[in-house]
Amino acid sequence: MAHIPDGFLSAPVMAGTAAASVAGLAVAVHRSRRHLAEREAPVLGAATAFVFAAQMLNFPLGAGTSAHLLGGVLVGTMLGPWAAMLVLFAVVLVQALLFQDGGIGALGANTLNMAILGVGSGMLVYRWILGLTGVGVRRRVAAAAVAGAGSTVIVGVAVAIELALSDTVPLAPALVAVGGGHALMGIGEGVITGAVLAMVLRARPELVGGVPSPSGWDRALAYAGTIVAVTLAAGAAYLASSKPDALEAAAARLGIQEFETAYLAAPFADYTAPLGGALMAAVIGVIVVFVVAWVIGRAVTRKRLGV
Amino acid sequence: MPPLLAVRDLAFHYPGGTSALRGISFDVERGERVALLGSTGSGKSTLLQHINGLLTPDAGSVTVAGFAVAGDAVREVRRRVGLVFQDPNDQLFLPTLLEDIAFGPLNDGVDAHEATYRARVILDELGLVGVESRPAHHLSGGERRLAALATVLVSRPELLALDEPTGDLDAVSRSRLVRLLATRPETLLTATHDLDVAAALCERGVVLHRGAVVADRLLADVLGDRELLERHGLAAPLDRSG
Amino acid sequence: MSFHHLDQYATVSSPVTRATPTARVLAATAIAVGTAALPLGAWEHLGILAGLVVLVVAAAHVPASLILRRLAGPFVFVLAASTGLLFLVPGTPLIHVGPFGISDAGLQRFGFVLGRASVALTAAVVLVSTTSFPELLQALRQLRLPAAVTTALGLGYRLLYLLVDELERLQRAARSRNADGGTTRRRRLLVGITAAGLSRAFARGERTHRAMLARGFVGDLPSLAPKSWDLGTALVLTVLIVAVVAIALSAHLRF
Repeated sequence: MAHIPDGFLSAPVMAGTAAASVAGLAVAVHRSRRHLAEREAPVLGAATAFVFAAQMLNFPLGAGTSAHLLGGVLVGTMLGPWAAMLVLFAVVLVQALLFQDGGIGALGANTLNMAILGVGSGMLVYRWILGLTGVGVRRRVAAAAVAGAGSTVIVGVAVAIELALSDTVPLAPALVAVGGGHALMGIGEGVITGAVLAMVLRARPELVGGVPSPSGWDRALAYAGTIVAVTLAAGAAYLASSKPDALEAAAARLGIQEFETAYLAAPFADYTAPLGGALMAAVIGVIVVFVVAWVIGRAVTRKRLGV
Repeated sequence: MPPLLAVRDLAFHYPGGTSALRGISFDVERGERVALLGSTGSGKSTLLQHINGLLTPDAGSVTVAGFAVAGDAVREVRRRVGLVFQDPNDQLFLPTLLEDIAFGPLNDGVDAHEATYRARVILDELGLVGVESRPAHHLSGGERRLAALATVLVSRPELLALDEPTGDLDAVSRSRLVRLLATRPETLLTATHDLDVAAALCERGVVLHRGAVVADRLLADVLGDRELLERHGLAAPLDRSG
Repeated sequence: MSFHHLDQYATVSSPVTRATPTARVLAATAIAVGTAALPLGAWEHLGILAGLVVLVVAAAHVPASLILRRLAGPFVFVLAASTGLLFLVPGTPLIHVGPFGISDAGLQRFGFVLGRASVALTAAVVLVSTTSFPELLQALRQLRLPAAVTTALGLGYRLLYLLVDELERLQRAARSRNADGGTTRRRRLLVGITAAGLSRAFARGERTHRAMLARGFVGDLPSLAPKSWDLGTALVLTVLIVAVVAIALSAHLRF
């Protein structure tokens, strides 16, 4: 459920996400113009048409299922994050207005999730990995694959949080259901993003935006960021396992009251118990997906580039 | 008065390295109708893009109505030269035909009402009636060609520069387009490898081969010189032994 | 490929199509947002808004059968999504389906979310059925959406048609060479087509850019004068928006 229909979000969540989207888009408009200058119009037009067309192509995943590309990270590697946000917004907007794919009232949330957070987090991951590894063709493809997978998971988590804040579904089952679904979609997104980027890098390398080779500072920053993130994750895990009350209190303060007190429908009640909290389950799920995406990303680069 | 178009020692190569134009010179006077003949890859399209300032030469110069095609003068030049591209789909990029045709005048600072009026007038002139609010993909191939022509005629250019105007047309649409072009008052420079179209429209022929002018004479002379045409890929013997 | 079926009622003269596209977009947005913003359980208010949408459908002269047909696709999706609520919302269990339990609160929330979604969806369907894409774009421009976005949509519209045609050609060409391949082969083929589509889209964009420059383009897409507002439309729109806001607010005060 990447596109939230109308009816699932509460008024405050619709208003808040819309405000956040407007702010994000304002920055994107400014930065995109500076980046693309007078080429902006045709380049954005071409990218919008491409994302739209690409979303119509169904990739068979096996077992009768299929998935399509979301395209945020792929376009981001071509145009940079800001222009890609505008492109994804244009797509989300038309999907809502013409195809009822996502509600008009939920447009703010869908824009925030797919255009701002999806592209933004994906490109952050992409640059972050390149900051750690340096820029080579194979590294770029792998970084884009991981970023594509990661950004899809982030979109799923954002959807789950918005549904929970709207009081539509409690957070824990929402994270498991929506986040889990997006984790599966993320694998497809990562593979397709990596594979397509590898082909484009081989056939038309000038289309892919240059990423400057990381300076010592960039690398230091990327490493520092990694250490902070790992420390935070470890701290959260420790907190969750030893003092579950603290996490609950934090959740309650964020307005997610139904966190633990709620009666959980049968399957999730069993699911969450041994892990000491559904949030942990989700966190672990996200980490597992990242690892899987990383492995797939590596596999894809090796196969596509014939090395 | 300077000639409407003056091309002097024009040389250009694409970033890949191949030389596309190697020292081209010729003039076009007002009212002349000139066919730019050459096989695929002879440099016709590249030359036309220089006349509109879309490409910048390595050496030499292009002058349109006394304006050197460079720097700020490019705006003046583009107002005087109407360039019709080989693929009409490249030229019809907006959601409706009316918007496509009004695009040029609007860029020239004409207000929206006047631009709409001018667009309707030119559609009428070309016999494209009742399709103005449609997108170009709902037009036939012949209508699309006419529409692409309308997008430049609306700005009343002095020089009409056409790149393979009959490229992908069926016989009926082709003859309709040629008849229409034959009645236009604009000075004409048309790149083509279709000798019949050239004969129907032009008096003078400039033959390009591998980026150089190899002949510049009366079209009748060019078309009568079988050996010249065959040497530059414009005609080929069709007998079975060949 | 064609999306022309979408706006087949755009040329039917009705009070709705006579209003400027901007007014239509604002009205549809007001109804969709107002409905979506109703607090859980405000069934009477939802009923009033549903009545309002039915009035708009009647005014647009769009046959109910068409609206229902258009609704079917998105509705199935909404139904699937809201079915999850039956099981995920905590409350007193009513029914047990295998290991799953349906609670009373879950059933209520399922029903109300579905109701809100249907009314908002209908408003959106009426908009798309009565408004052509160029009109929609005009409205978005008049509503001061960023020029970069309206430009991307304006140029993307034509490019999309050309691109989809090219992708279909590529797919046909590929299929004619290897009639039946396995899933892996098909997947690899699709990756190739997607990559080719990407470079073709940008190549086409580049050529279009040149054609734009040739006609004096300097970086901002100009637009023709939009359909003008008339007093009647403005009045009706104002009344409609005030009514929707009042309904939504009164629902929030009650619940």
